[in-house]
Amino acid sequence: MLKEDLIRLRYKYVPDHIVGELLAKRWMDNAIPFAALIIAIVIFGSLVPGFFSWGNLADYSRQFAELGLVVLALAIVMLSGGIDLSVGSTFALGVLLSIIGMNALDWGFGLTLVAVIGLGVVLGAINGVLIGYLRLRAFLTTLVTLITFRSIYDLVYPNFSTAIATGMPDSPMWDLLGYGDLFGIPASFYVIVVVAAAWHIVLSRMRPGWRLTAVGGARRSAHNAGINVRRTVCITYIWSGVLCTLAGFLNAARLSTAGTDVGIGLEIAALTAVVLGGNSLGGGRGSVAKAVIGTIIVLILTNGLISLSVPGPVNSLVLGSVLISAVFVDVRWMKNRHKLLNKVYVSPTYYKLPQAQSTKPGSGSPYALNDKLKDVGAIGLGVIEGAEDMILDRNDNLYCGNRHGDIMRWFAPDYTRHEIFAHVGGQPLGFAIDKDDNINVCIGGMGLYKVTQDREIIKLSDETNRSLFSVVDDSRLRLADDLDIAPDGRIFFSEATTRFEMHEWPVDALESRGNGRIICYDPKTGKSHTEIPNLIFPNGICMCHDGQSLLFAETWGCTVQRYWFDGPKKGQSEVLIADAPGYPDNINRASDGTYWLAFVGMRSPALDLALTMPGFRRRMARRCAPDAWMYPNLNTGLVIKFNEKGEVLESLWDLGGQKHPMITSIREHKGVLYLGGIYNNRIGTYQIPGADPNWCAVDTYWGAKA
Amino acid sequence: MKSRFLTKLAVAATVALSAVTVTKAQDTGLDQVGRAEYFEALKGKRVVFIPISMGFDLTESWAAIFRKDAAKLGYTFDIKDPNWSTDAGTKALTAAISEKPDLLIVHNPDIQSYARLLTRAQDDGIKVLQINMPSVTTTDSYVGADWVELGEAEANALVDKCGTGKGPSTKIAFVQGVVTGAANIYLKHGIMNVLAQHPEIQIVSDQAANYDPAKARAIMETVLQQHPDLCGAVGVWDSQDVGIGAAVEAAGKQGQVYVVTSGGGNQNGCDNVEKGLLSMNISYNSPLMGHIAAQQIAELLTSSDAAGSRKANYFTPLTPITKENVNRRNCWTMEDLQ
Amino acid sequence: MATKLKLTQEGVVFVLAALLFVGFSLVLDRFLTVGNIIALVQSVSILGILSLGMAFVVIGRGIDLAMVATMVVAVAWGLVLSRSGLPLGAALLLGAGFVVLIGILTGIIVAYAEIPAIFTTLAMGSIVYGIGRTFFFQIDVQNTPVGYAWFDFLGRGTMGGVPVPVFAFACVALVVFLMLRYTRFGRFVYATGDNPLAARVTGVPTRVVMVAQYVITGLIAYLAGIVMAANVSGMNTRIYNSTMIYDVLLVVVLGGIGLSGGRGGVRNVLVGTALVGILLNGMTILNIGYTAQNLIKSVILLGAIVIDTLINPRDEQTAQQGDI
Repeated sequence: MLKEDLIRLRYKYVPDHIVGELLAKRWMDNAIPFAALIIAIVIFGSLVPGFFSWGNLADYSRQFAELGLVVLALAIVMLSGGIDLSVGSTFALGVLLSIIGMNALDWGFGLTLVAVIGLGVVLGAINGVLIGYLRLRAFLTTLVTLITFRSIYDLVYPNFSTAIATGMPDSPMWDLLGYGDLFGIPASFYVIVVVAAAWHIVLSRMRPGWRLTAVGGARRSAHNAGINVRRTVCITYIWSGVLCTLAGFLNAARLSTAGTDVGIGLEIAALTAVVLGGNSLGGGRGSVAKAVIGTIIVLILTNGLISLSVPGPVNSLVLGSVLISAVFVDVRWMKNRHKLLNKVYVSPTYYKLPQAQSTKPGSGSPYALNDKLKDVGAIGLGVIEGAEDMILDRNDNLYCGNRHGDIMRWFAPDYTRHEIFAHVGGQPLGFAIDKDDNINVCIGGMGLYKVTQDREIIKLSDETNRSLFSVVDDSRLRLADDLDIAPDGRIFFSEATTRFEMHEWPVDALESRGNGRIICYDPKTGKSHTEIPNLIFPNGICMCHDGQSLLFAETWGCTVQRYWFDGPKKGQSEVLIADAPGYPDNINRASDGTYWLAFVGMRSPALDLALTMPGFRRRMARRCAPDAWMYPNLNTGLVIKFNEKGEVLESLWDLGGQKHPMITSIREHKGVLYLGGIYNNRIGTYQIPGADPNWCAVDTYWGAKA
Repeated sequence: MKSRFLTKLAVAATVALSAVTVTKAQDTGLDQVGRAEYFEALKGKRVVFIPISMGFDLTESWAAIFRKDAAKLGYTFDIKDPNWSTDAGTKALTAAISEKPDLLIVHNPDIQSYARLLTRAQDDGIKVLQINMPSVTTTDSYVGADWVELGEAEANALVDKCGTGKGPSTKIAFVQGVVTGAANIYLKHGIMNVLAQHPEIQIVSDQAANYDPAKARAIMETVLQQHPDLCGAVGVWDSQDVGIGAAVEAAGKQGQVYVVTSGGGNQNGCDNVEKGLLSMNISYNSPLMGHIAAQQIAELLTSSDAAGSRKANYFTPLTPITKENVNRRNCWTMEDLQ
Repeated sequence: MATKLKLTQEGVVFVLAALLFVGFSLVLDRFLTVGNIIALVQSVSILGILSLGMAFVVIGRGIDLAMVATMVVAVAWGLVLSRSGLPLGAALLLGAGFVVLIGILTGIIVAYAEIPAIFTTLAMGSIVYGIGRTFFFQIDVQNTPVGYAWFDFLGRGTMGGVPVPVFAFACVALVVFLMLRYTRFGRFVYATGDNPLAARVTGVPTRVVMVAQYVITGLIAYLAGIVMAANVSGMNTRIYNSTMIYDVLLVVVLGGIGLSGGRGGVRNVLVGTALVGILLNGMTILNIGYTAQNLIKSVILLGAIVIDTLINPRDEQTAQQGDI
């Protein structure tokens, strides 16, 4: 017992699941480059005297501004699936024009800057038109323009070399940019900060940036999705040209000269930085953060080695080795990260279920087996695919979802005809009808939606407040499951799990952690907030008749609870059923003031035991293939009726599992109980003996309509 | 202040001690007067050398001499090697300034790139010695060739061979190095000084090879095809201009085209004179330059003048080396300096 | 059967080269002479040999940016060894050994560690030069030893009026042609380049093939280096990171060997080399300066690529992802 307590405490307080969630984060992609950066800082920080001194950092930040712009230029082009080898030559021409403008022609700061940026646009447009519109190969084209631009430099340079060497421009702005400070920080550093921040926002938060990434990630798909691929590609090269010449402007301001070798080999340094940062050749994977990390590593390495007076050749030996090992680690990381993630993502916890009620026939238990569902009727046999839930409106029409992302409407009275009521795009799960006869629906992977009788689809909510300290952004809804509507119009809906996608919902059972929650959407504010966090796969929700509380079922927790969201007991909850023999799913009202509850599957002693052995389940998840894992039994359906005291009044079984091996939902309407199942090909109908043949659930919510 | 006091104390102690020794053991001779103070003043000083690149005759010869001197005199000597990159050179110089050594030895890739940084170094109290390749900023000391004199010497040699009626034509080619380098700019000035007095000499080609012999060769091949009657070629550095010689040899014009260049007097350059690739190689004697610079280092380190208060120039003598005087006396090898 | 004349990139470059050749012959009276044609070929023979090596590895869907570095370091080491007393032949053999070693190392990193060839060889260039300057020699420029007539002959001799470098180029071209065309290994190289996964599934030892590619490319580069050293009587190791490698790559890709591998052959390299050679030679006779020649050369090369793309446009639907 003590051992079991220890296990319970260990799994309660050690958050194993964080490892998997961290690995799944997008920025985890930067882990290796970032680690390399830290290592570089630690090594050179301890070796180079005065590394962290203000003067040294200021020198670094000036160089960072120049190299950073060029690296960013190359990173943007590579992100869109191209490459720009001409960055070094473009940079050199930028330096040259800046110097000629300032030293030889006395254009002044403003005009020179405009001219330099204009030059960048022209040079970039040459590459861009050739590669974007004419579809030339980027590598070959920029290789040639590298030589072209360089020879232009070599041709123009000697004509101005004397003026370059002797000119002394008188421009405070120029001097400020070159070696001045603003608030103690080098002026040029502000330039790169602004440019990098702008690009970060564009790439991560704005449409043009997404298009650019899309083109790099899958050019053909981007084209087919209607993105103007050619223009997008062309524009990346223009930006590359502008950023490179701008870098040249900064360089010219800093050194106030141009040497013959300026920009030679810069494409190699930039490429090294881009790759060290983790941007991939061939496009689709990259970010500003990666470019910045790569730039800093390259700067620290080159400057650090020079500071340490390492001989030039050893220097290049070290740089080469670092490049190879960094790419090696990155390639391995890319390859193995998802394997690792798959292994460690499933993170079971300790959960002890109480002894289940007996289901033996003749045991006197309310759950005693029978075969009442043997002869149920069927609607839409073979047409319906995966109706998790269904609902009937006041006109007796039946609505249900299917796995193709449609809401189907079956027409009364015989339910043989149907139409696609609306195409919502995701699999509809729970339904509820509000007082205006709109269909409210939870759509797996999408959130809470409303479909009016005019078939207008309105998104009500796809996010809630993000919980503090959550690694995964849990504000987005992953698996909105079932809902019900309070008298004042507030919608309470369950999100079954925040850790798994819809198609892998049974895996959540292996964890049995409180991954789910109940969320409240308030139509007055249009906002949602999490009402009850940390539930073990909360599923069905049903309003109690008092209008102040609701019933909800925790599927893997095997409980049904009552929760007060209003009134004197606000915020309290009470467990009504704790010892169910199966996994409860949707709850709905019955005509006699009690409630129906569907069971999606039955508990088994083996899995119940396994739930108290998290280590065992973890080993299973790591070492076995997913299809060999131990899953809950989802092959036996059961419907029960219970009251607000938690007493189970009746149970309906389908023993053979011929028609309803799993039941995810039930709905009573005018004396008939309709049965739905998420993996079933029909909706069942069960004539309830003695039920009110005129009872309509919608009326019990909103009153009968005249 | 404290360290200066300590130094004085140490000097006083040394003097006192030596006085005691002198009285005690008269037959061991006498320590040279001032020697101990000299060594003491140099001890622990820090010198940083930023060449254009290590790995060629000039810088290797200087570094060998400085290293020996540093070991003998007790100052530390560090080399930051930019490996032919001006960009790396500015980084190295920036890093060196932030380390605040006592003296910087700078070998400028061009006359402008380091100019601003050299001013900053002297403002920070670091003395600067420029070697062979000066920048537009004059600093405490310059040791190197008199490039204008060298240019005039090279041009005069060509005028001798290619003046009217002396050669196959009066056409010459000028193969520059790095056009903004001191060697190039000042040397060109010298050449033009002479050619202004000899208008009959035509420069038919004036291109830059950026110290790359392969590029020099490519340029020269072109020139020789365009001007088969070329009389002479003038270059700026023997290591580059061996490419000119190779092109001349490949075109079968050895003996017709007179190749004049200059260099540090390394055996390699002399070998190329012997092979006939170079007709005349004017040596500015880089080991001698190294020795003068080493003397300057000691002087600057011991002097109490503020950085930038002096502007000294030391020019090394020029020796034209031709087939007639290639010998061990005029040429040196790295082994000589070890 | 209707035959439609469809020019490939190779065709475009060939036509362009032919046009230039005819044009120069008509306009320049000094162009179409035996002496000039020989000079033309000689001026590009080292570039041609290097391009053949590069073509070999590019066909196998690789790239070797470390070619020049390997070449200069190995040859310079050979020269240093020979001046320290070893016979030149033995010294050069040791240099070849170094090349093989580097080739195997590069190949293993690319084939087994699966690092993209472009980064591996980019880094290997620096590493090889670093090793050379740190351990083998201190001075960037190494002169050839005096007194080896056979060595000088390799670079400066003639056979029947034709310079030896031209012969070397022809021989390497022939050997590479035969190897690619008639040996099992050659077919494996094509298979590996065309679709490495498919080749592997069908039983081609792709990894071994890749390693062998880098070794052979290195050796071809080494041969080019020996000819070069003999030609200018020295080796300047500083060109290890010069734009020379870009010129080599340009000749290869220009001739129509796609960087995505599996296509092209010796003929493509010859066509590419011919265009560059004719251009340079013609411009030289036209009295165009060295720097301006570079500019004109690159613009004409760009023109060739543009014409090719206009004739053979690439389609959004069929373009290969990651084929830059």
